[in-house]
Amino acid sequence: MLKSEYENMINRCVRCSICKWIPQVQIKNQEHASICPSIDFYNFHSHSGGGRIILALALEMGRVEMNEKVRDIVFQCTACGGCSIACQYLNTLDPTEVIMDLRRKLVQEGVGPMPKHQAFMDNVIQSGNPYGEPRKARAEWLEEGIEIDDSAETLYFVGCTSSYRRKEIARATAKVLNKAGLAFKILGSDETCCGSPLFRTGEDDQFEKIVERNVAMIEKAGIETVVCSCAGCFDMFRVEYPERASFSFNVISTAELFNRLIDEGRLKTGAGKDITVTYHDPCHLGRQAEVHEHWEGDVIEVMPIMKLNIPEKPKRCGAGGVYDAPRNVLEKLNNITLVEMDRIREYSYCCGAGGGAKAAFPEFALHTGKTRISEAESTGATCVISACPFCSTNLKDSIKESESSMDFKDLGELVLESLGRDEKNFDGMKEDMEGKHDES
Amino acid sequence: MMNLDEYAREALIDAVGKKNVSFDEAILEVYAYNWGMEVVNSMHGKEPIPFSTPPVAVVLPSTTKEVSKVLRTCKKHDLTFKAQSTGLGPWNNPSRDNCIIIDLRQMNHILKIDERNLFAVIEPYVSGAQLQSELMKHGLNCHMPGAGPQVSLLASSTSMSGPGFTSPSTGYSGRNVLGVEWVLPEGEVLKLGSLGLSNEPDWFCGDGPGPSLRGVMRGLHGAMSGNGVFTRVAIKVFPYPCSTEWEITGDLPDYQFKKPDHIEFYMFDCSKYKKGERVMRAIEEAEISFMCSMLSGFGAAAFFSNSLEGVIDKVTIARMRVPILVAITGRTSRQFQYRQEVMEHLISKFKLENVIGSKFTPPSISYAEAIRNNFGMHGFISTGGVRSAHGSMESIGMCMNVTKANIPLKKKYIKREQIANDFGEAVWSTSIERGHMYNIEAMALYDQCDKHSITGVAGYCIDSNEMDLHNHLGIPLFVEGDELHDHFGPECSNYHEWLRKIKQILDPTCIADPGNYISPGKKKKEGET
Ligand SMILES: Cc1cc2nc3c(=O)[nH]c(=O)nc-3n(C[C@H](O)[C@H](O)[C@H](O)COP(=O)(O)OP(=O)(O)OC[C@H]3O[C@@H](n4cnc5c(N)ncnc54)[C@H](O)[C@@H]3O)c2cc1C
Ligand code: SF4
Ligand code: SF4
Repeated sequence: MLKSEYENMINRCVRCSICKWIPQVQIKNQEHASICPSIDFYNFHSHSGGGRIILALALEMGRVEMNEKVRDIVFQCTACGGCSIACQYLNTLDPTEVIMDLRRKLVQEGVGPMPKHQAFMDNVIQSGNPYGEPRKARAEWLEEGIEIDDSAETLYFVGCTSSYRRKEIARATAKVLNKAGLAFKILGSDETCCGSPLFRTGEDDQFEKIVERNVAMIEKAGIETVVCSCAGCFDMFRVEYPERASFSFNVISTAELFNRLIDEGRLKTGAGKDITVTYHDPCHLGRQAEVHEHWEGDVIEVMPIMKLNIPEKPKRCGAGGVYDAPRNVLEKLNNITLVEMDRIREYSYCCGAGGGAKAAFPEFALHTGKTRISEAESTGATCVISACPFCSTNLKDSIKESESSMDFKDLGELVLESLGRDEKNFDGMKEDMEGKHDES
Repeated sequence: MMNLDEYAREALIDAVGKKNVSFDEAILEVYAYNWGMEVVNSMHGKEPIPFSTPPVAVVLPSTTKEVSKVLRTCKKHDLTFKAQSTGLGPWNNPSRDNCIIIDLRQMNHILKIDERNLFAVIEPYVSGAQLQSELMKHGLNCHMPGAGPQVSLLASSTSMSGPGFTSPSTGYSGRNVLGVEWVLPEGEVLKLGSLGLSNEPDWFCGDGPGPSLRGVMRGLHGAMSGNGVFTRVAIKVFPYPCSTEWEITGDLPDYQFKKPDHIEFYMFDCSKYKKGERVMRAIEEAEISFMCSMLSGFGAAAFFSNSLEGVIDKVTIARMRVPILVAITGRTSRQFQYRQEVMEHLISKFKLENVIGSKFTPPSISYAEAIRNNFGMHGFISTGGVRSAHGSMESIGMCMNVTKANIPLKKKYIKREQIANDFGEAVWSTSIERGHMYNIEAMALYDQCDKHSITGVAGYCIDSNEMDLHNHLGIPLFVEGDELHDHFGPECSNYHEWLRKIKQILDPTCIADPGNYISPGKKKKEGET
């Protein structure tokens, strides 16, 4: 965001609180009317999108100093983007962008990020992943039977969480691609974090270095298409990388790819058990995955005080997210009945893990996850499906915490189940289908 | 900012629990900000910035008992308080440097929906959209203030103003209040109306036994936190206007709404205020409208747009002089048909041209916005800042007088390039309760980042009050605080003395911030010490 845009934005909050709710016309009941996990947990107005815009103005005007309390307020937010789409229904502010800007400023001033984030960052820089796991262990999720084709032009960018923490998602994704006969390669121990943890916590300089490195490596490998099973990686590759580098490869999420492969008849689904599921839209596959459309034009003062943008400035309110593809996939898995939650698509409620919240404020993350699980339960579904290993982690923790009987599956796992067993079976598949996930 | 002593801090923590209190500068500064504060500051000769004096603490109580404890703490420690529900607008801000904010966000329950007796009991942080969505399940609807579906229904009912776009059929917040739970400034809990009965107390009535205290509670405009904290209220609810189907498709910002059965817009240009007055009277006498608003062409175009560019595109309606927008609804096909026929009859009687469906097709989402009362925030799309500067709740004749008298005054500020040029005509006027009363508000579109513009709106507001007073144009929108009451009172039956007596009885030591109400102390005459 340009400095002038930032200044304009922080001066124009109406304090209407619309950013605390899903778009007003979408409210279906009292319980599921809110969109902001942060205000739901912390309750002070400072912990809403609009509240943080006011904080930015107070800082700019010198009414408040950059200190640890300011840092906490700015980071006690999942950076889910809900406030921004709500505000843009009628107004034009983008509180999430202001929050991201504040995070970068806090880091530049040496006040941020949160101590827990600092450890993550050091790990990314040293080991290429936020968990501090050894690089050489990155491809340990691979198991016998999964076919990797080093000459392929499709790259499966596994991401740190699926590589080390949610290995079942990496395996399921790879197996589905194998079953579809889509040749792909992986970067293995050369794969480095996409940079999302750095970007979301305001470490812009380090993030830019990662972008540069990853783009160079992928270009050099002659890749045409990068496939992401992680919404966080997908968001980085599709939305943030093009802001910082130019490249020629395409980026696709597994949800979009599976949908295409089913349509092309390359995946024969229908073998799984009959279940009723509900789908959780990950923020970074949904509203946050809308690319930035840069506006160029003139601001014309049609009359004093009234300024018109020519052409009209596009609003970034989530319409460009990936919503239909995962739903289409679910629809095409014959044995699945999809029941929707009250908050979906661009006005979905966050799982609670993002923006560094899970690491720095676990209680907040869990509270948010439990809220989402309770909403999922209210649909009557027995299983929550999503398409992000980070959502997976927090929602599973939340299921456990709230002693819910719900199950959680990644879209890839569900598709894999639906493909059934055949001659091209895998040793690990039975284990996966029985839900023996790797929690290491 | 005053520094709160340790004992006061401890007492507040004791009242609501540690995690529900903040003394932190960053959080307090956020609560010092509000929309329109820059205009209020300018009106008081201060720097036109959107911040007031910050509060010394913010507390988040969850129960009436906690609210009462907080107020007792204020009394003991010489603090004042300002209560806020959804907190939109400068009426929520402290006017004293020893003020705490009581943010009622955690009191957010819908306690009862009484389908048979047509009322709902709510806490402060229940928004209009929340209650409406729950009422819809029972085929019911509620009144909401024009500020929008995101604001508190309790605050509007007990403490501030209250007309809205559906006022013809759903009344006005101040008239819809039934039983009330009210924590008086010193912490005592008072129950109004049938709620105070010792035998089977219930919420169905706001008056008696004994003299009604509803007028004392809020009067026309409300005490804006100047007389205590309201923790629960029963409000009247109404039959849902049309079919309760609610289906929205598409993604933001291009939502489409499947128009439910039995709702239709009508819009026509009456060209002249006199004719507009006659048409509005006739529509309201016929008791057929769900919504009936007189607007300016520009305002009407803004209702149907979500950006300034969208407004400019709607030339057909933007150039109307005195447009009236009506929503006709029906609970049944027969009722809908009857109302439409009456509407058609009036259109032909007054030789009007309905542009809906011929020259203009509203976006389908506008029907959802009409039902959900979401037109108010469209006021901000043109310049970023909007404020109702001039207006009144009066008879339609008086409202028309205000509208006409306002034009030359507004033009003065337009000429100075301080507010946007709407030819002086941008107003929103609605009937209340089928024409028993009317509300008119003249909006000033301004730029909240431009000092010249802000001082212009402030000047316009001050001049508007003076104009109302000297030209006998009815009670202005915002006569708040000692200075204005003491200015208006002597010209209006010395009402200010009575108001002050009420404050003296309820709050003799002035614990409730009187900034938007009145203080108990007599104003000293010049030279008096
Ligand atoms: C675009 C726009 C249009 C508007 N149109 C209208 C309109 O048509 N009609 C109308 O009435 N107003 C209108 N307003 C003015 C105002 O914003 C509303 O009256 C709104 O209801 C106030 O905001 P709120 O509901 O968030 O309540 P709050 O801001 O929370 O409260 C309003 C006042 O009541 C006090 N208060 C709140 N809760 C309590 C409580 N529990 N106990 C004691 N005091 C309390 C507050 O201190 C404040 O002074 C409009 C505002 C905007 C921005
Ligand atoms: S950020 Fe937008 S939606 Fe939130 S309070 Fe400010 S203007 Fe309203
Ligand atoms: S990004 Fe999400 S959590 Fe943060 S303020 Fe906005 S809605 Fe709330």
